[in-house]
Amino acid sequence: MLAKDLMIPLQESLTPEMTLKSAAGVLRTANRGEERIGVKGLPVLDPRGKMIGFLSIGDILKAVFPSYMGLMNIGDFSWDGMVEDMARRVVDRRVGTVMTTAVISVHEEAPLMVCVDHMIKHGVKRLPVIGADGRVSGILYERDVFEAICDIMLSVTKEKLG
Amino acid sequence: MSPEAATAAPLVLGTPFWLGTAVFVLAYAVIISEKIHKTTVALAGAALMLGLKILDQHEAFHLEEFGVDWNVIFLLISMMVIINIIRPTGLFEYIAIKSAKLGRGEPFVILGIFAVVTALLSSLLDNVTTVLLITPVTLFVADALDVDPIPFLISGALASNIGGTATLIGDPPNIMIASKAHLTFMDFIYHLTPAVIIIIPVYLVAIRIFWGSKLRTRDELKTRIMSMNENDAIKDAPLLRKSLFVLTLVLLGFAFHGSLHFQPATVALCGVALLLLLAKVKDPHHLLSEVEWGTIFFFIGLFIIVGGVVKVGLISWLSVQVIELTRGNMFATSMVVMWFSAFASAIVDNIPYVATMNPLIVDMARQLWPDLSGTALLHHPDLMPVWWSLALGACLGGNGTAIGASANVIVVGMSEKMGRKISFGRFMAYGMPVMILTVSVSTAYIWLRYYVLKW
Repeated sequence: MLAKDLMIPLQESLTPEMTLKSAAGVLRTANRGEERIGVKGLPVLDPRGKMIGFLSIGDILKAVFPSYMGLMNIGDFSWDGMVEDMARRVVDRRVGTVMTTAVISVHEEAPLMVCVDHMIKHGVKRLPVIGADGRVSGILYERDVFEAICDIMLSVTKEKLG
Repeated sequence: MSPEAATAAPLVLGTPFWLGTAVFVLAYAVIISEKIHKTTVALAGAALMLGLKILDQHEAFHLEEFGVDWNVIFLLISMMVIINIIRPTGLFEYIAIKSAKLGRGEPFVILGIFAVVTALLSSLLDNVTTVLLITPVTLFVADALDVDPIPFLISGALASNIGGTATLIGDPPNIMIASKAHLTFMDFIYHLTPAVIIIIPVYLVAIRIFWGSKLRTRDELKTRIMSMNENDAIKDAPLLRKSLFVLTLVLLGFAFHGSLHFQPATVALCGVALLLLLAKVKDPHHLLSEVEWGTIFFFIGLFIIVGGVVKVGLISWLSVQVIELTRGNMFATSMVVMWFSAFASAIVDNIPYVATMNPLIVDMARQLWPDLSGTALLHHPDLMPVWWSLALGACLGGNGTAIGASANVIVVGMSEKMGRKISFGRFMAYGMPVMILTVSVSTAYIWLRYYVLKW
């Protein structure tokens, strides 16, 4: 199996100039395959359609997490409503300032084990898949790889039983 | 007296003089331009001084007059290791939360308390360390109270530079001055701490004018601060007790190092060894690797560069110029040194500045009192106010601009990470008045104490 066999074709994307508020709206309502259930991350494309970054829920959590919290040892201290306050504060920040720029991606023709290697070594659950034209053609989800593996395991058991 | 002084130190304007001067000027120019990292520049300059045989390795490594001041190097390293052991105990977070609660959630009162606490801590620790440990908590408090965090950042840096002026170990220029002039920890307590005790209330009035009316919060937000329990910040109580025990011993050691005839670096080194033993550190590799080696090698490189220009005679030529400028009037010399140091330190890092000024002042003293040597020369009653003026000018001058002191650079970096960068102009709008105010207070202090009351 190759990356392109399991990926879900790209439907939505973000731009670096979008505010986090509008990006949140897109993430919330984006299609994942046939279903309109929202996604946990989308590629950020420049006007020519080339990927310049990726915005995932992790990046949004980091945007809400004040930089000074990472510098001090007082994780036990906070006030009720702190995350809510910070979330209201970051609505107008641009996607370009928050996104991950060092994106781990795979080529359409990449064997599935190469994709699994990236997922394990870099701890990512979504891999943008790059097509022959150099643009993002889809996204490979950890969950779909898992489903594929399950199918194989279950079929092995059936054969043995049979 | 200038003609005698000039003949006392004959200047040979040969190839070594011009080569050494060129290396020195080039290195300092590149450091100021910030095109290449300052540590790399300092090491490259030192390599040139040695490679061009302006200075030989023996002079650079083993002679106090031309080479690396290992007393400064080991005092810096030791204090860094001690802080690295104490940091994870949560002591500094505890102090910061406790201070915020002491202010009853009133933003300006908290700003003032933080200024005093920062100044106090900074007189015992390095300024950068203090700012790195305390400022994150002050930003957290500013957010909790929904007030502008910028005053907390700027005041943190300014207060740490003021507090650092007070003691021998508070700021690297003082460590360097103490080592060069053979001054003890208690000398600094007698002569500089009173000046800082006068400066702090003046500084509090200044920040009241800057921000007193701007920092307002709502009553319901104050409970966010008051409901925090500072005891939760303590992560390792047994280690904290051991650390405080050793820190107390080290401070006592500093207080008596003069009468016991120990160098400050010896005291600090003993403290490190004792704390490493008591804390049962399994592998000190990690603690030692966290020493700011970049800063340490910056010092090493600078000492060698300055040693080179001391040897070729540039520094003694400069000292003759200072004597001619002030016509041997020591009060005028003190004032020129203080104000020139303040403006120079606002523009240049005060570490290379003091590294250059130290031998210059020693040379000046040699020309003024050619019959004296050793402590009699370095501690000449007329020279003492010049050392104190150098310390006050160089430390307080750091407040002038955003690049004047390392602590300022750190808070500007923090503001940038928060997406609210403090511009060069904005920092200067507060820093420069504070610098001029505090140096003016110091001027009055030096004049009154050493030239009117003659203590």
